[in-house]
Amino acid sequence: MTDERRRSPFSAFIGTEMEELREGYARLSLTLERRHTNPHGEMHGGVITTMMDSALGAALGALRGEAARRDPHATVEMNASFLSGARPGDRIVVEGRVIRLGKTIAFGEAEATRNGVTLIAKGRLTFAVRNRGE
Amino acid sequence: MSESVAAEHPSSPFVEAIGGRLEEWREGYVRMALTLEPHHTNPNGVMHGGVVTTLMDEALGGVIASVRGLETVSAAPHATVEMNASFLAGARPRRSDRRRGAGAATGPAGGLRGGGGAP
Repeated sequence: MTDERRRSPFSAFIGTEMEELREGYARLSLTLERRHTNPHGEMHGGVITTMMDSALGAALGALRGEAARRDPHATVEMNASFLSGARPGDRIVVEGRVIRLGKTIAFGEAEATRNGVTLIAKGRLTFAVRNRGE
Repeated sequence: MSESVAAEHPSSPFVEAIGGRLEEWREGYVRMALTLEPHHTNPNGVMHGGVVTTLMDEALGGVIASVRGLETVSAAPHATVEMNASFLAGARPRRSDRRRGAGAATGPAGGLRGGGGAP
């Protein structure tokens, strides 16, 4: 499941856990602490965008397999809608799904929920995929 | 930059935790900076996209506060509802390499280069 060698240092630094990883799908979680907040004591938007980027990057990596190690992909566009907030103590889960993988581009979507119930953010991400062939 | 700039203005525990710094704050303009270290990367050793989106969110939250005024903001905080980021080029940890996020109240964040962000 979790391939520690491919863990993202930044994602690990902020405290996310990889709960599930398979081809085209990844689920990350994080229990919010004070260090994840903005000046108003609410979750900082950067926590969610970081988790979305990590979830999709990993889901795409699992789908591409060996090719992803040879020719890494990179996020080129992210669009996130923040529907609701969260506070320390809340458990955030982000799911990322690859919706299309082409030769040089990939599209994905991400959803974030709070405490397993409330949808708090939606994201759409686009990746550039390098493809130098075998 | 100077301790005083940061001390007089609201900052986020999250941004402090990742090492972001407030460099300039005036009405309608905020500039943040961060020196990339190995823990800011994705598995490919490149800056994680979340670093830049975090700095953008902070710079824009700050610049809106600079226009609204700190008293107004503390009585009625604003919140990000939508963000769209384009990552034009990547960045890596290096002693002299710094990422900057600047926000202007009149338009999208300026002077920014995003970074590739695999997981």
